Amino acid sequence: MNAFSYVTAQTPESAVQLVRTNGRFLAGGMDLLGEIKEGIAAPATLVNVKSLPGIAAIQASGQVWSVGANVTLTALAAHPEIVRSFPGLAEAAAEVGSPQIRNVATVGGNLAQHSRCWYYRHRDVKCRKKGGTTCLARGGENKYHSLFTGNMCISPCVSNLAVALASLDARIVVQRGAKSETLTIAQLYADAWRSPPAHNSLRADDLILRVELPVVAARRSTYLQLGEKADFDWALVSCAASASVNGTSLSQVRIVLGAVAPTPWQVDAANASLEGKPLTPALADAAADLLLREARPFSTNGYKVPLAKVLVRRALLKLVA
Amino acid sequence: MPWPEKNRYLGKPTPRADAPAKVTGRAKYTADVVKPGMLFGAILRSKWPAAEVRAINLEKALAAPGIKAAITAQPVPFIVNYYGDELAAVAGTSRQAVLDALELIQVDARPRAFVTQELDAIKPDAPRVVPDSPNLGEGKARETGDVDAAFASSAGVIEGLYETQVELHHPLEPQGSAVLWDGDEMTAWSSTQGVHGVRTAFASSLEVPQNKIRVLCEYMGGGFGSKFMPGVQGILCARLAKAAGAPVKLMITRFEQALAVGNRPSSHQKIKLGADATGKLTAIQLESFGTPGHRSGASTGGGSGGAAFPAPYIYQAPATRIKQGSVAINAGQSCAFRAPGHPVASFGIESALDDLAVKLGVDPVAIRILNDPLEIRRREYQVGAERFGWKEKYRQPGSSSGPVKIGVGCAGSAWNSGMVRETQAEVQINSDGTVDVHCGIQDLGTGSRSVVQVVAAEMLGIDLALVTAHVGDTHFPPGPSSGGSRTTSSIAPAVYDACEKALAELKERSGIEDPRGANWKAACEKLAAFPVQGHGRWREGLADGGSKVAQGGVQFAEVEVDTETGFVKVRRVLVVQDCGQVVNSLTCESQINGGVIMGLGYALYEQRMMDRTTGVVLNPNFETYKLPGPADMPEIDILMIDQPERGVIGIGEPCTVPTASAIANAVANAIGVRVASLPITPDKVLAALGKVPGAGRQDTTALEIEQAFARLAAAPATTAREEIHA
Repeated sequence: MNAFSYVTAQTPESAVQLVRTNGRFLAGGMDLLGEIKEGIAAPATLVNVKSLPGIAAIQASGQVWSVGANVTLTALAAHPEIVRSFPGLAEAAAEVGSPQIRNVATVGGNLAQHSRCWYYRHRDVKCRKKGGTTCLARGGENKYHSLFTGNMCISPCVSNLAVALASLDARIVVQRGAKSETLTIAQLYADAWRSPPAHNSLRADDLILRVELPVVAARRSTYLQLGEKADFDWALVSCAASASVNGTSLSQVRIVLGAVAPTPWQVDAANASLEGKPLTPALADAAADLLLREARPFSTNGYKVPLAKVLVRRALLKLVA
Repeated sequence: MPWPEKNRYLGKPTPRADAPAKVTGRAKYTADVVKPGMLFGAILRSKWPAAEVRAINLEKALAAPGIKAAITAQPVPFIVNYYGDELAAVAGTSRQAVLDALELIQVDARPRAFVTQELDAIKPDAPRVVPDSPNLGEGKARETGDVDAAFASSAGVIEGLYETQVELHHPLEPQGSAVLWDGDEMTAWSSTQGVHGVRTAFASSLEVPQNKIRVLCEYMGGGFGSKFMPGVQGILCARLAKAAGAPVKLMITRFEQALAVGNRPSSHQKIKLGADATGKLTAIQLESFGTPGHRSGASTGGGSGGAAFPAPYIYQAPATRIKQGSVAINAGQSCAFRAPGHPVASFGIESALDDLAVKLGVDPVAIRILNDPLEIRRREYQVGAERFGWKEKYRQPGSSSGPVKIGVGCAGSAWNSGMVRETQAEVQINSDGTVDVHCGIQDLGTGSRSVVQVVAAEMLGIDLALVTAHVGDTHFPPGPSSGGSRTTSSIAPAVYDACEKALAELKERSGIEDPRGANWKAACEKLAAFPVQGHGRWREGLADGGSKVAQGGVQFAEVEVDTETGFVKVRRVLVVQDCGQVVNSLTCESQINGGVIMGLGYALYEQRMMDRTTGVVLNPNFETYKLPGPADMPEIDILMIDQPERGVIGIGEPCTVPTASAIANAVANAIGVRVASLPITPDKVLAALGKVPGAGRQDTTALEIEQAFARLAAAPATTAREEIHA
């Protein structure tokens, strides 16, 4: 293992300064320590961001809720106001890993986590994402991989929070150099869609500070996932949905799939197809078909298509239940 | 004299003797052993799936900070046959120093072509795993009766392909040893299922006299068949300690555990069954192949070397045709794995039998009672069906309403635990009334200490708290390896015998006619400074029922299957297990719980994934090698069939055999189609239901399977040796 230095940042500005010497930010460490132990990452500096002021709280300001990057998933899943106003987010947080992991893992880390592709994570395999010449999953074992991608790499985005936050039109506030910038979830993962080595659009010295959630009247949200095990397993497919609900009619619908693309997967036409109409199973299925129209399964992940379809239907029906 | 009929402890629930030590952390496992100056050891493993190793240069590693020894795994040059094969090992003052030093070892190797998929390995142009022998090993063939005629005249015939995966050994405590040399004498703390066997293996590998080696295993965290021997890692540890002149501890990692310490072979089973209209079997035909890893060839019933399994399993027919082969691939080798061969055999035949029952319209319990040759199991099916509510629960396949479908299934296990007749034990009665029992067995987590304690307390008529059981030391009287479900049936009679002898001496020396119970204290006081020792041996009449009558168990499972997501939830498993004379009902139940949970993992979650292109194991961790967790647990209902007249028998293995089969049958009953491949994951369920567009087996795969069976049929056959499985 490479030797590294360890520093504790006191301000976001100093954190991004410190990380520039081939460093990585360390908060919960759930993702990073695994990469270091497997020899996938070899940072020269670990910049501890756990002591940064003001990014470990969940608070409201006017019509926006703010969730600090250092909030743990346990705290997020249990926060009464999040559970009340953004149940889909609380449900997504509660499905991550195990209680031990959720007690340590943070909101920022969950969003910034790297690929879980078993080729990428293998210490002795050099896949396209690690600078190799080809994506080994394409012709290899791809049951956990993407149905959609804009580049050679087919490892999917597996952040539960990203999927839920996309359905809630959340914004991600990032310390970028001396100033802060605000990204949509789509922007946060756009590079992963385009570029094989990218896990997201964050530059090495970009630090997620907080998530901002707009409060929308009468909006409901939900999150569903299916793993191979009942608990402590990655989603094969996940689905988050939100909408303003009037009786059985939905408006401003956001339906998002996870673990099927390098980004949370949304299709505007699918959202629009649900606008203002009473929800029926057939309507939900039609929206799912729009979401999945461009799906390109590989040898062993075709099952994700019917699985995604049923999760879409169940999530939408849950909104009006 | 037989086991007493009126018991204080025997057959009753006794908390395991070492539970407090384990839950408080006082129990010291091999990984906890620390000796002054002890070094850490680690192994450099092949990154090539196949290569000729021409030279290994250890100089830079030896020169690295803190490194005290570096050795090659075998004399160079040599061949490596799988990713993870051992190349070299180093010992040093910290784990990090050792890991860093491994990266400094220079290996000159010429990579060879490799193959990691069974269907690829069978093709004529496949690279040979072992250069001088074909990948497809000799078939093991057997035929009785006129099979073709029997099928032709059967009222119903089914044919199916049933497949099982490679299951990895993942005891919670990985393999490892700590070794201390004192001159030419060696002490090894090994995480093992057999201290005596490990001593013998150390002695022959290291060319050290057996009486210069002591092996200790006070506590260990599971073996399941993978820890009978020191393993390459144990031998390397001992060699490193010798080379370094200092004690070395070498525990392998979870990653390595997935590569090189054994697994359960896979299987592809083509089974054809014929029966008359009532369901009575008329013909059984089974062709199979699977992979035991990089060594193929002669079959050994699912242990190391072959991928065959008992066949036909449990059920018999007048006409039977069997051919079993095994295929070498570039992957870690199989070894014994809890009930070697049996869960594999069970899945194939029990699935096929249910498919036959469905075709004939016969109830699955009824078809088993009709065909099962073992009276105990037939009775267990009846008792179990009643307790399970089979009549009320069993419906036509796929007939429950709604998207989440309920199903039930059942299956049986065969076993023959036997015993080790050479087993000995020593009972020492002290003047304060306490008792030490020494046995050269080891407690691999099953509660063997409590077995010893219970038998001694019962026979001496004293309080359990007065008895201390000492195990896990080659200085103690020889005991068997913990395998074959025979530790209890071996040690209980030996302790019984030792108690009887000690009591006789106590009676003589104390002058008290019956020193047991109320007289105990007074009798012991007369011993003063000279304790009584009774040396006992296994003897007839206490545990030999198991060898005369095959053991049987049956299990019933109830599942719910979400036909939209493919997710399977096991609601309940009922175990009806032939238990003979139960010694400790609490640990017996605990064993059965563990067996069911292991079977659940086999049924739904576990599978080694080998990559075709790189040759690596893709899931060398608990993230993607999935084991059942608390949320996956069914209700486990255990009915121990206590039959004291049969004496003590073992249940550690049979209780895991039928679980996956019963679950698979329940899934088929729930959804109306069979998922004929383990593990039953959501993708396979959806595919079986026809919900995955363009899926199912691709034509090329189906063709490859057909070609593989054709090659198996054409392969030379040996007549199988008789195997003891009723």
